[in-house]
Amino acid sequence: MNFWQRMQQMDRRWVYLMVGISVIFPFILPITLPVSITPEAQMLYDHIEALPDSSTVMLVFDYYPSTIAECEPMTIAAARHFFEKDCRVITLSNIPLGGPTMAEQVTRTVAEQYGKEYGVDYVNLGYKANYVAVLSGMGQSIESIFPTDNSGTPLDELPLMDSVVNYEQIDFIFEVADNATADYWVSIVNAGYGVPIGCGTTAVSAPKYYAFVDAGQFVGLLGGMKGAAEYEQLIEQEGDAMVGMGAQSLVHLLIIALVIVGNLGFFVGGIGRRKGAK
Amino acid sequence: MSGIEILQIWIMAFLTLALFSFLYKDNAVYKLAEHIFAGLSAGYYVGLIWDTVIVQQLWEPLIAGKALLIVPGLMGLLMFGRFSQQYSWISRVSLAFVMGTTSGIFLVTQLHGLVLAQMRSTMRSMAGSDGITDLLLSLVIVVGVIATLIYFYFSKEHKGILGGTAKVGVWFIMISFGAHFGYTVMGRVSLLIGRVQFLIQDWIGSFGQII
Repeated sequence: MNFWQRMQQMDRRWVYLMVGISVIFPFILPITLPVSITPEAQMLYDHIEALPDSSTVMLVFDYYPSTIAECEPMTIAAARHFFEKDCRVITLSNIPLGGPTMAEQVTRTVAEQYGKEYGVDYVNLGYKANYVAVLSGMGQSIESIFPTDNSGTPLDELPLMDSVVNYEQIDFIFEVADNATADYWVSIVNAGYGVPIGCGTTAVSAPKYYAFVDAGQFVGLLGGMKGAAEYEQLIEQEGDAMVGMGAQSLVHLLIIALVIVGNLGFFVGGIGRRKGAK
Repeated sequence: MSGIEILQIWIMAFLTLALFSFLYKDNAVYKLAEHIFAGLSAGYYVGLIWDTVIVQQLWEPLIAGKALLIVPGLMGLLMFGRFSQQYSWISRVSLAFVMGTTSGIFLVTQLHGLVLAQMRSTMRSMAGSDGITDLLLSLVIVVGVIATLIYFYFSKEHKGILGGTAKVGVWFIMISFGAHFGYTVMGRVSLLIGRVQFLIQDWIGSFGQII
């Protein structure tokens, strides 16, 4: 059995081990690699930067805890940018498992750093089932869909919500999603009410949403951890995404090497020829 | 860091490592973590829906005098007919309502918000080109859309010009799959990085607090 044949029969657990080491290594010995800014991330940043101070924005946590690694750095970076511009932030979620809790955790932590007050500078509306009804209903009245905030306080007791009735008072929506809810924000809210929307999504979903940016339905797009790292770079505040990019690049190099070795093994090792003969 | 926070971190670390143990081979600790996740998710979801939908949007407004809410309430109850073979037909009334309204809403929003908007953008992409590079990229989009649509046109045999164009469509589809796969790899690696980041920074970081 030659080298290539042995490589073909290698136990896949060795691959897992190599990937594991490649991920852990940069956390022990940090690798700093440049992160280039894509036009879509720049467009999103520029749009938020151009919002008038004290604008009212929505930050939507439409992702499950399983994709925190990709999505949370986006929401943290966006919340920082919003609070830096003194925007009034309304958070909500269409995800039952963990959505409202993550919204609470992220906004509260970032708001404390910027000295923002709950109810005045930011509000967490929480979760309501049936996102199609929720998104459509908020076009008429946000209070009819969310009579109370996430902790049960009636909206009329929150000063921020005094001047917010429906989408007409919302200047911008930043939707961070790991599923198809972003489609409905576009088809119901952007197309129906004309509210500009920016999107942050997992890498898996990103290719689909580039077409939405081209069509002007999203003002910008962040795709996966790389997108989050780009935004952290744009607001000049390093976060978890920037830290994780070293590991990301190293694992990508490993995967490329494994794909090359695997294909060489297949062709040079003659396994392809033998299978063909059968 | 408080004691309860450290306990939370240790539970999270245990469950993360338990799930990772599957990479070596299937085992009882992995199964335990999997079952805890399934049970907790179901319980949490039921509790959340009960509070945010049944209590907040049905019961409380009903008590406050919004009598019309009896109608959706009753329609919701009809859905439980599915548990009885004899009365399962009752649930069809509610299902018909759900299907009718959903189709109506989706037809308009998807057509107006997605299909027409994307078609308009594709048609205008070449007209609004800024420079030769932009024009070429727009041309790729237009050719890609047409060729891919022709690949999915099955009413005529794919021969001659139709067959050639369909083959171009296959190339576009394959390139699209490649891009999706690349992004998927990046996404999955990111999730692993997130867990490793948690284990190194939070979990191992908590050792100092305990000692």
